[in-house]
Amino acid sequence: MSFEDDFVEDDEMNMIDEDVASDSEAESLSDSDSENEITEKLAEPTKTAVYNRDGLLDKLQDISWPEDVDWTHKLTVEIEQGQAVDVNDDLAREMAFYTQALEGTRQAFEKLQEMGLPFLRPADYYAEMVKSDTHMEKVKSKLLYEKKQMEEAEERRKARDNKKMAKEVQSQKMKERAKQKKDEIESVKKWRKQRQQSGFSEKGAGELDLEFGNGKSFQRGGGKKRPGVSPGDRSGGKGKPTSRMNNKKREFRDSKFGHGGRKGLSKQNTAETTNDFKGGFRGGKAGGNKRQKR
Amino acid sequence: MGKKRKHSETESAAPPKKDDSAPERPKRTLLGWKDKTQDAEEPKPAPEFRNKEKVLVTCSRRISFRYRHLMLNIVSLLPHCKKDSKVEAKSSKGATLNELVELKGSSSCLFFECRKHKDLYMWMVKSPSGPSVKFLVNAVHTMEELKLTGNHLKGSRPLLTFSSNFDKDVHWKLLKEMLTQVFGIPKEHRKSKPYHDHVFAFSIVDDHIWFRNYQISVPHNEADKVARGGLDKMTLVEVGPRFCLNPIKIFGGSFGGPTLYENPFYVSPNQIRALEKRNKAGKFAKKIKAKTRKKMHEISNPLEPDEFADMWKDDE
Repeated sequence: MSFEDDFVEDDEMNMIDEDVASDSEAESLSDSDSENEITEKLAEPTKTAVYNRDGLLDKLQDISWPEDVDWTHKLTVEIEQGQAVDVNDDLAREMAFYTQALEGTRQAFEKLQEMGLPFLRPADYYAEMVKSDTHMEKVKSKLLYEKKQMEEAEERRKARDNKKMAKEVQSQKMKERAKQKKDEIESVKKWRKQRQQSGFSEKGAGELDLEFGNGKSFQRGGGKKRPGVSPGDRSGGKGKPTSRMNNKKREFRDSKFGHGGRKGLSKQNTAETTNDFKGGFRGGKAGGNKRQKR
Repeated sequence: MGKKRKHSETESAAPPKKDDSAPERPKRTLLGWKDKTQDAEEPKPAPEFRNKEKVLVTCSRRISFRYRHLMLNIVSLLPHCKKDSKVEAKSSKGATLNELVELKGSSSCLFFECRKHKDLYMWMVKSPSGPSVKFLVNAVHTMEELKLTGNHLKGSRPLLTFSSNFDKDVHWKLLKEMLTQVFGIPKEHRKSKPYHDHVFAFSIVDDHIWFRNYQISVPHNEADKVARGGLDKMTLVEVGPRFCLNPIKIFGGSFGGPTLYENPFYVSPNQIRALEKRNKAGKFAKKIKAKTRKKMHEISNPLEPDEFADMWKDDE
């Protein structure tokens, strides 16, 4: 049996050590200990543990205050405990403590109210608090931060869901459109076959009505109007508006470096430009660079 | 000093309200110096009782930051305490600490002892002849943690709630009494504040004493009445600190004396660590054993020769 003795001793302190099994309680509370091998020990050590009940009672009598002391001195409340709480279940344990405190406060407040003593802090009573104001600021900022994180996460999730939905809807629409297109083509083909079969007779006009569009006028591209497509715009109207705004810059750069940008040769002094100290590309350089790749 | 009045004295003092009934000095009550005939009323049963509890809070050297903050938190929670400088390691024997307590004129002491920079032991001692308890402190969360968001007046008297299993056994009763006296602020202490806005919760779960400190927040208008239904809207916000006490031993004297109670379930953290190490040490040996076992097993049950073993040997 190992004997490890590290406490403040007096002569009568005997530590009982069992290396057979140690207590699950002690280990469940000490931070990093192993939970696997440790089992609860029961009967063995209790036999050798000192339990001097009379001595304890004596001491209790010694130190306790007189029996008839006013309750306001002690301010203690005893609360009935419900069922045994599992130590390792954090939430349940904290709930139990919380309910105990809550019950206790209720009872105490009722008593105090009967006695007519003030017990709640008025809103205008300012005094030193146990945590400083700066600390409470930190707490507040942390709470706000957490709330913001949660909200952002929510928003992100919602956006994701919306996108999914939108994607589905879009795919549906595409399918529909494709189907419609196919149908229309089919109908044209049918009409042509009909015409062929009927020998290209001149009458035909009445039979067209069924298939074509039901009064809808035919427009190329499905009739979608894209905003503000200028005739000089070669991107087909699909380009971003900003790209048109940066057009001038793009044009200038294209003319200077050729379409595709500057390749290399970033320092290019020609005979004429070596003596230009004023940042001479302000008008003279464009087109004057013979070495640039085109 | 904090000499507690014995029961005999109260009995003799109660009926006649004379000045000199008390041994120490002319009793001073709320209504002024005690005069002869004065109160017809007897509501204050022990009118001369004054809680003159003073707690001395110290720690040992080489205490780590978390435990030091815990000690400082406790100092801020108890206005009737006095914080003293660190005591030398060698002198954390009984006699020196007893002297220190007497010197400072306190009636009890909370001594935090940190060993190996890892384990915190707390001594709760009533001076001069009172019992003393040694606890192992676990699960420490200080007030500085940002998750504990409550706040309360510094020095306001707490309401103490104990779970009912403190009355189940004698040693718990003794501990309850000691906790009440140490953690309860004396009524008219000069540093105490008038309102009750926080509550301590001591519960015994799994043979440990768990401590929680909550701030009471109730919607109210007046200081001595709660709005109707207000009690139902009461919420508690945790202020901290939080810790869990594992009683190790109760002694009859202060910082020593005859052992009155030993916790049979207590295992010292050193032993736990030693056990862990031993288990880990056994792993390698077990592995070797498993290997040899496998070999023996293979030798004793040889495999049948595989018919397909040579199938691919010809095609190189």
